[in-house]
Amino acid sequence: MSESEPIRVGVLFSQTGDISLIETSQLMGTLFAIEEINEAGGINGRELVPIRYDPASSPGLYRVLAEKLVLQDKINVIFGCYKSSTRKSVIPVIEKWNRLLFYPTLYEGFECSSNIIYTGAAPNQNSVQLAEFMTSNYGARVYMVGSDYIYPYESNRIMTDLVMQKPGGDKVGERYVSLSATLADFSSIIADIKNVQPDFIFSTVVGDSTQYLYKAYAEAGLNPREMPIASLTTLEAEVAQMGFDVAAGHVASAPYFQSIDSPVNRSSLANFRRRFGTDVVPSAGWEAAYFQVHLFANAMRLSGSDAIDVLMPCLLGAQLDAPQGRIQIDPSNHHTCLYPRIGIANTEGQFTLVRQAIRPVHPDPYLVTHSLGDWTIKLGSME
Amino acid sequence: MATTRSDPRLITPELLRDLRTLRVTVFHPDDQDGEELVQQLRRIGCQAQAFWPPFPTLPDTADVVFLAVRPNMPMPDWTACREGHAPAIIAVVTYENPTVVEAVLKLGAESVIASPIKAFGLLATLVVARQINLNLRTLTKQNQRLESKLAGLRRVEEAKSVLMRTKNMSEEVAYQVMREQAMAKRVTVEQIASAIIDAEGILSFNKA
Repeated sequence: MSESEPIRVGVLFSQTGDISLIETSQLMGTLFAIEEINEAGGINGRELVPIRYDPASSPGLYRVLAEKLVLQDKINVIFGCYKSSTRKSVIPVIEKWNRLLFYPTLYEGFECSSNIIYTGAAPNQNSVQLAEFMTSNYGARVYMVGSDYIYPYESNRIMTDLVMQKPGGDKVGERYVSLSATLADFSSIIADIKNVQPDFIFSTVVGDSTQYLYKAYAEAGLNPREMPIASLTTLEAEVAQMGFDVAAGHVASAPYFQSIDSPVNRSSLANFRRRFGTDVVPSAGWEAAYFQVHLFANAMRLSGSDAIDVLMPCLLGAQLDAPQGRIQIDPSNHHTCLYPRIGIANTEGQFTLVRQAIRPVHPDPYLVTHSLGDWTIKLGSME
Repeated sequence: MATTRSDPRLITPELLRDLRTLRVTVFHPDDQDGEELVQQLRRIGCQAQAFWPPFPTLPDTADVVFLAVRPNMPMPDWTACREGHAPAIIAVVTYENPTVVEAVLKLGAESVIASPIKAFGLLATLVVARQINLNLRTLTKQNQRLESKLAGLRRVEEAKSVLMRTKNMSEEVAYQVMREQAMAKRVTVEQIASAIIDAEGILSFNKA
């Protein structure tokens, strides 16, 4: 291959379908990083060119398009996927042809493919901190509402184990809705919540239906100060979709919020808005999608090739100053050391940070039993 | 065996919660496959140690043992160590031909994984093999207890009939006598029954 030939990478994020809001922000984070890299001279002088397809939120299409990227476009590295079901459809393809996937999304753990770099949070980097915060500030009786697929089931199992470790801890309800749920689907759930009066609600509803849960909650006149909805996925983009007033007072746990006060974050956000405008709302998925392309570029500057066998040794253990802080790929499990944070949505559509990790937390994707009160993952208070 | 403190309020099964305290011995050649196996066990959180060749006896500190089954080398005979407290055995095979499968059966393995080793699937195999192993051990123990109980009952019946025949006792009285003897000598009714049967055997030459 020529020294000046462009490097083509695959990009698989949905711009249509149930999950398009968040995946579009991940797509823009990816394209933003690619622009930055090219403007700074590319990778050893070679231009980075994204080959993008729209998998339309359908797991079947992710598989077909991943195969197309590998076989037709001869792509070695793919950036993509939000839902676990779509990642699981891409895995057989990349493992069969020995290609590399960068996956920029929090998920439920229990996976470690040698063909994936995971840059989103594992449960020990978001669920434990959220459970600790919610049970100590609001109480330990939880009502769970989720989309009907694997990530909510597993997240709810972890949350149940965590709240049960508190005196008086109890799961007082657990309901699932389809990914295309509407306002009407949540009305009976909200009525039940009003009746049961939990201390807080844990939402694992993802995608476009997220807004309807919060809208149904607001319409029922419930008060987030007394009984907030806690979530790992309702972040700035979802808040913008549902309206700032609807979201205000609800709680989220993620390694990245726009409100992080650091020079890297401020300049990344400013540069992004200058290029891409304000239609796309950056959140944790956007940030991981953004920094993972830079991780790839840095590694490839060292390896000189995007073939997985030479690229992977340069990725494992690699560090980077990301908007959330200095992150590192854990060489033992291909996941990323991240900074857990807790934020409460305010009326400006941002999250006011109330807890923040003092040092990065190592990913532990195979942790079955999480413990509350582990001081190694204790967050610093910002109040 | 290592188990985490059991808390019935946690919804996750104990076999899964145990994974972090599980002691695993891996008998596998020091190659890429062996390395991947030990690495994935450590990611899961098990305390894994690897050796090659396999020990002639099962390590008594292990909860689970992985053994690479190779057609060209003699398998350790662990049958004697597999009674009572015995770890779950998971065979690692490179061939699926009858010779190798027969060796796996002879080993008494609870599960099999295939080489080249993939990280995906190991956790599930580990948990299921341990469940089978624990169930087998519980059943074996129950079976032994039932067998000895049954043998005891048979002896009591026989001793009763000896007393009824030689001492002209009714069934109830015969049993009563044996029970009183057991209480007085602080032994079980089954032991008294054995003593009566032995004595009758020794004394019966008169009648012969």
